[in-house]
Amino acid sequence: MARLIRTEKEVEGRFEEVWLVVEEDPLTQWPSGPQAIVGRDAVRKDGPERVRGEARYTADVQLPGMLHAVLLRSPHAYARVARIDFARALELPGVRAALKPGEAKGLVEEAEFVGQPVAAIAADSLEQARRAVEAIDVEWHVLEAVLDPEEAVRRELFTIEPARYERGDVEQAFAGADVVIEGTYRTSVVLHNSMETHQAVCEWVGDTLNAYVSTQYIWGVRDNLAEELGIPGDKVRVVCEFMGGGFGSKNGADEQTYVAAVLAKRTGRPVRCALSRREENVAAGNRNATIQKLKIGGRRDGTIVALEGEYINAVGASGWSAMTEGPLRMLYACENVRTVRYGAKINTPPMKAFRAPGFVEGTFGLECLIDELAEKLELDPLELRKRNYADSNDGTPYSSKNLMECYELAQKHWDRRDEVRARSTGTWKHGVGMASQTWFGGGGPPSYAWTRVGSDGRITVVTAMQDIGTGTRTAMAQIAAEELGVPLDDVDVVLGDSARGPYATLSAGSSTTPSVGPAVRAAAADAKQQILEIAAQRHDVAEDDVTIEDGVVKSRDGKFATPLSEFLGLLEDAQILGKGARGPNPAGMSVLTFGIQVVEVAVDIETGEVRVERVAAAHDVGRIVNTLGARSQVEGGIIQGIGHTLSEQRLHDPETGRILTTTLDAYRMPTIADVPEIVSEFVDQPDEHLTNLGSKGLGEPPIIPIAAAIANAIRDATGADVHELPISREEMLRALEAAKRKEQRGAPAAV
Amino acid sequence: MELLRPSDLSQVDGGLPMHGGTEVVPLLRDGILEADRLVDIRGVVPRGVDGRTIGAGTTLAELEASSSIPEALREACRLAASPQLRNMGSVGGNLLQSTRCWYWRLKYPCRLHGGDRCHAREGEHREHAIFANDFCASAHPSDVAAALLALDARLRTTQRELRLADLYRLPDESDRRTTTLEPGELILELTLPEVESSVYLKAMDRRRWSFPQVGVAAARVNGGVRFGLAGVAPIPWLVTGPEALGDATPLPRTAWKVDVARALMARAAAQL
Amino acid sequence: MSELQLTVNGEAYTVEATVGISLAQLLRETLGFIGTKIACNEGHCGACTVQIDGVPALSCITLAHAVAGDITTIEGLRDHPLVEAFVRADAVQCGFCTPGQVVSAAALVADNPSPTVDEIRHRMAGNICRCGTYPRIEEAILHWRD
Repeated sequence: MARLIRTEKEVEGRFEEVWLVVEEDPLTQWPSGPQAIVGRDAVRKDGPERVRGEARYTADVQLPGMLHAVLLRSPHAYARVARIDFARALELPGVRAALKPGEAKGLVEEAEFVGQPVAAIAADSLEQARRAVEAIDVEWHVLEAVLDPEEAVRRELFTIEPARYERGDVEQAFAGADVVIEGTYRTSVVLHNSMETHQAVCEWVGDTLNAYVSTQYIWGVRDNLAEELGIPGDKVRVVCEFMGGGFGSKNGADEQTYVAAVLAKRTGRPVRCALSRREENVAAGNRNATIQKLKIGGRRDGTIVALEGEYINAVGASGWSAMTEGPLRMLYACENVRTVRYGAKINTPPMKAFRAPGFVEGTFGLECLIDELAEKLELDPLELRKRNYADSNDGTPYSSKNLMECYELAQKHWDRRDEVRARSTGTWKHGVGMASQTWFGGGGPPSYAWTRVGSDGRITVVTAMQDIGTGTRTAMAQIAAEELGVPLDDVDVVLGDSARGPYATLSAGSSTTPSVGPAVRAAAADAKQQILEIAAQRHDVAEDDVTIEDGVVKSRDGKFATPLSEFLGLLEDAQILGKGARGPNPAGMSVLTFGIQVVEVAVDIETGEVRVERVAAAHDVGRIVNTLGARSQVEGGIIQGIGHTLSEQRLHDPETGRILTTTLDAYRMPTIADVPEIVSEFVDQPDEHLTNLGSKGLGEPPIIPIAAAIANAIRDATGADVHELPISREEMLRALEAAKRKEQRGAPAAV
Repeated sequence: MELLRPSDLSQVDGGLPMHGGTEVVPLLRDGILEADRLVDIRGVVPRGVDGRTIGAGTTLAELEASSSIPEALREACRLAASPQLRNMGSVGGNLLQSTRCWYWRLKYPCRLHGGDRCHAREGEHREHAIFANDFCASAHPSDVAAALLALDARLRTTQRELRLADLYRLPDESDRRTTTLEPGELILELTLPEVESSVYLKAMDRRRWSFPQVGVAAARVNGGVRFGLAGVAPIPWLVTGPEALGDATPLPRTAWKVDVARALMARAAAQL
Repeated sequence: MSELQLTVNGEAYTVEATVGISLAQLLRETLGFIGTKIACNEGHCGACTVQIDGVPALSCITLAHAVAGDITTIEGLRDHPLVEAFVRADAVQCGFCTPGQVVSAAALVADNPSPTVDEIRHRMAGNICRCGTYPRIEEAILHWRD
């Protein structure tokens, strides 16, 4: 039944109060543990087409007569277009149309970073469009740029008002602490680098815009375009059936989509606007740099009595300021906490959400600080974490929390410490470190799904969600198959097309499975109920006496057992249609994910080389739908996080603000040779308060603790305090040198 | 643009020579190189290993798999670039590759491009040079050149024979080039003098597919040791021993490279 | 424009193309072999990997007119046991790099049907996967004949 509620909606750690219509279903959760299909390994439904190169990505969309659009980008960090002249450009061969500042959303007159788009050209070929863009004459009025985030804070240049938080009495708590430690931690800008760059192909058919967009949120793009073009949402059809990675950077339409739509309208032809890799690494978003000044106070018994943090998010020219202080506020039971977070507005490319924005950065600082406290108190870091276990999220009860169970799963890996340290030989020092994690990931309403059961007994799930590569298509098929009692092979999932299915939420914030999964289950249950009703009438038994198991419709007393295809075959062209909606989140509860990772490293103290040798991860995300896909998510998050920790760093020229590391030889993501042994374990307990499924999302949690766990392992191995990401050889050698000086001054060090 | 594919040296007449294309093609696209005529020289440059002689057209992948070449060269090839690039790139082309300096690649009007300042010196230079970096702080990225320098390789070109060390020159105010190769001159063969043993060690920030942060080749010959270094100067850098690091002139953010070079040189010497 | 002849997956093609066009662009846009992906278009990521006479090469920085040898794209490897091995091992997330991974892997197992982990890591390091499916790729190649 539909119900109107006023509720708090969370996406990527951002909250807003919204009105929501929610529909509740009467389904009870499946028992915990593996079911027939859910909770087991399932290979990807779309694996073969992806592996065989048959899957059509936005990059593969070629329409007859398609033009190519290229953006003119600002060469200055802060400058206004004083005059722009297209005369030369328009005379070049193949040029069909041009857009000046203001003619499409995202084309600005005042550029606030090097690379911000100001104009666009469409031409017959990409090469012609590029040449024409170079021929646009622009007179720039150059303004004074600010590139240093600390200077921006001093000058009170913010993208958003500073966010302050306080509980308890921090001053008094620090005064009463036995030990107080302060530290400054820095994280660098890192880039999403989705293999498929941001791109869109737009064509108009009558008054309808067909937009093929590489996106994590087809409905968001649909609404963005409808609003900008002033047309009804249903006159925009957004298609993204296969998507080449997003990691948070593809949640909205962005300039390339607006430009393609406007140029397609103007020229009457389809228009592609695709970013090059170098454009991608300038203007498609980033995980912003942070500066974290942290302070912790503890008692001899290991109780954390006070936590304080001043955070600067170097947001860039625009964008939001992620909740970097979240882990410090949420991970431990501490009565006295005070934080302030500044979103520094500087003339560099804007941040975008990147796989647990804020929490990745904030967990690095916090979890390093916790280990430094453990060292000072001479306490086992795992024991210190257990002693400060939080029973509520600042007074709000958890819908479920099994972090202690994660700690127990981690114990055997943590117990390898002596064995690992004993491997140290010569200049190679070995050590073990850990870090734990919390994050959102509960999803929420609304999301809808339909099921269609044909008289051949095959089931199609229809929902206009996305599979951005995480395997949600397969998870939805598993859920429907489980509920309907049919083999997984009998279920197909149609997704990625806003004109072909009901609304489903964005694929970000670890929200797809927990948001859409329950709707799919409800839609499957709706269809199943109808099949049971029909079977009961056909065989003149009570509905309760009929079940479907492994694709066979049967009575519990064994009177009949007919394969679903045979049974529904009677219906010829008739179809069974089911519908389902995502129910509400539990009122008054905090829905969060938790985990811990234990890392083993080797450090060459002469050359500063750091090798991550083994990572053991234990995560609590409620019920696991696909155990195979879940392990892939954990591995992928850890590997991406190892890149952030050791080798990835976006650099800009300090004078001009221009991004220097736009190519993949300079911006170094991990290769297969950099991968450690990874062991992943799950608590796999359904969240009994959360939906008919009890599942939370897993896309983001695994990337959160890895950096701190590596840094803590380095400290264990060498005694060096690493306070900056990435831990390049330069940073590692600096930290080793500092540790040596500390030791010479008589302070204890572990080497 | 036209592409010629001569089968005989006598057919080569001007144009931009290209072998595997791994460097030439991207630089053409970026407008750093320009050409109306491209000459695919794979049909005219010798390929393969014959005793101590290596055809300049031999790919890095072929050298990596060759059992008859000195260890330093084989290891330099093995750790260079990516598998696909090693399949495509020739040893002759590798010697002529340009710096990875981002300012140069992004076409800043730097000294190497004929301009009047080195943007890296005051800018981001953590991967730049520690020797001969006053005029231009770029670092030479060739692992193979460092190995061949330590091995004291000799080159035969279409015009002359020379020591590898003489192929390179430091850029200066009057001439911004980093090699002495004349227009139209092609490297045809390399010859390696006998060495007693050799080794190549490489510091990278990934375990594979990374240009050298510091590459150290060492070769023992007649009781002495020659070191060739990659990633430390605008050209492959020949030094006599670790004491030469005392003459390094690191920039504020490249001092770490001196420590890494010192450690790798000691290890290389110990492994010979 | 200049005529060129190519052999792709055993079939001969004669096409007119501008000198300078990359093999990747020609394969995708002229011949319709869209399984070959372009992700960086400058030779750094391996998504565009094709085999030329069985040897993995980067089609995005290979000039179509300079190709000397028979080309094999992912379309020519669709029945290779590696495809099933990749699916079975879950060696695919977004899948954009995956065809290139398979092309590299097919050359590896042709050279050495039983590669060690170290050999796999050495020979597959030129194919970047941003989703981090590497452990699964390793598993798929180790067990490609199972």
